[in-house]
Amino acid sequence: MRKRKPLYLRLIIGAILLLALLFFLFPVAWMFLTSFKTQDQIFSVPPLLIPPAEQWNLDNYIAILTQNNGLQGVRDTMIVASVTAIISVSIGALAAYSLARFRFGGDEFSFWIISTRMFPPVASAVPLFLIFRQLGILDTHWVLIVANSVFNVPFAVWLLKSFIDDLPVELEEAALIEGATIFGAFRRITLPLITPGLVTAFLFTFVFTWNEFMFALLMTRRAVRPMTVVISSLAGGHTILWAQIAAAGVITIIPGVLVVIFLQRYIVRGLTMGALKN
Amino acid sequence: MFSSGVKQRWVAFVFVLPVLVLLLSVSIYPLLRTLGLAFSSLELTVSPVETFIGLDNFAKAFSDARFWNAMGNTLTLVTVGVAIQLVLGTALALLLSEIGFTRVVWLTALLLPVMIAPVVSGFQFRVIYNDTFGPLNYLIKTLSGGLVTGPPWLADTRTALFTIMMTDVWQWTPFMMLLVLAGLESIPLELTEAAEVDGAGYWGTFWRIKLPLLLPVIVIGLLIRVMDTFKTFDLVFLLTGGGPGSSTETIAFYTYLNGFRFFSMGYTAAIAFIQLIIIIVIARVFLVVQKRMRGGGIQ
Repeated sequence: MRKRKPLYLRLIIGAILLLALLFFLFPVAWMFLTSFKTQDQIFSVPPLLIPPAEQWNLDNYIAILTQNNGLQGVRDTMIVASVTAIISVSIGALAAYSLARFRFGGDEFSFWIISTRMFPPVASAVPLFLIFRQLGILDTHWVLIVANSVFNVPFAVWLLKSFIDDLPVELEEAALIEGATIFGAFRRITLPLITPGLVTAFLFTFVFTWNEFMFALLMTRRAVRPMTVVISSLAGGHTILWAQIAAAGVITIIPGVLVVIFLQRYIVRGLTMGALKN
Repeated sequence: MFSSGVKQRWVAFVFVLPVLVLLLSVSIYPLLRTLGLAFSSLELTVSPVETFIGLDNFAKAFSDARFWNAMGNTLTLVTVGVAIQLVLGTALALLLSEIGFTRVVWLTALLLPVMIAPVVSGFQFRVIYNDTFGPLNYLIKTLSGGLVTGPPWLADTRTALFTIMMTDVWQWTPFMMLLVLAGLESIPLELTEAAEVDGAGYWGTFWRIKLPLLLPVIVIGLLIRVMDTFKTFDLVFLLTGGGPGSSTETIAFYTYLNGFRFFSMGYTAAIAFIQLIIIIVIARVFLVVQKRMRGGGIQ
């Protein structure tokens, strides 16, 4: 058993952590508060921290959603992120199974898969842009889904492989002896047992794609405008709509915040592609 | 059961096939295209015709001061920035490991920055750092009793890169903290208690017992952060646009400028290729460490 620490020590630890909390949460709190300010209040000196009570309404949220492409942004991002996540998890799970159980292609093949995830996106942006332009599919949902999948599929493969590696192979072997096909064993034994892995992989790839900016910026114009592009375009004119940007930001961080809150158990695993478990 | 047999090998192949097709078409083909382009001149502002020019693009890169400047800035972010994240993250993890049942609440709150899009936080930081109406300099002024005036963080060549680095520190220190905390939790309590009974003291225990056991976790964390920081683009795009001057241009941002502002596709491909080689080296190290850990058993 851990011995109880003296009070002064606990107070010091608490004080430092409180300071850290202030540091890490201030920008998020600032954004939340800004989303209720008027344009004038943004520029007030000294800075206004908390807007007056009567301004706590959804005006900025309604403005960004209805006048400044916010609704389109949410819709496009939702489409791109969910389809990317579904593709990544479904084909990722199949490949992960093959790598974990058959050691398909050995270490070199695993390495090749993960290395595509590690490439700087900007390095593949030029050739992808040229290819997509030739195919005439720039400015569609598909172009973003494909580009994001290149980075999220390898992530899903490695993460899911770490979950399958944890399962005893005997369960599947028993099913095979009883006459199941390999795919049957995979579907009825492995998949249900790695449900937490599937959920983790889905949510992480969803948030990664949801937050992605560079491909969204380079590959879309008008027909498709993901939320990150909508936000950055609000800074384009000569007046920057800070309050609306903040409102858009609050909307945009929702999936990420939910992952942090509800995926505690698997967050280390997710962030390290399965290299670490907790 | 899973290892041998022609049929098994076919099944293994079929399972991998969708991923293989996707990665081959959208990763390998572009890679070859990049390689081809890197030896060609393709100036989209002039003409859509590609001409072979041998190693000229690479020669240009090596004598391009702006390329080296971008490499230098990236290196600063990757070394100094990630080092700060590691030290702060480890310190926070050590503090959190002393906390009892409320730990989960602290952890959740501290982790938020990790999952927030840089586009979103970047805009907030632009206001926070602003030297006329931003809260940071107001805070500095108030705390110092009006004696110290904060610099125009993003508008001064001397502070801009540092400011971007601190923004990255804000976002990724919690990641390091999380990893180190996970590592600390996997250290058997008997080990640290035995050391303390032997009179090693808190710091003795930390340096001689905890840190060596944390090393694999720290290495994984460092490699992931190094690889990601190497690609820094969003923050530069949003906070400074590479300026003032080119004082905050990272290599990813410089690549973007060449490709999508100057439309020099050949040169872009060449510097993209140089980055690929660097990343492959780092990724190799990651793989080796990761395999060692699997064998070593810290989980």
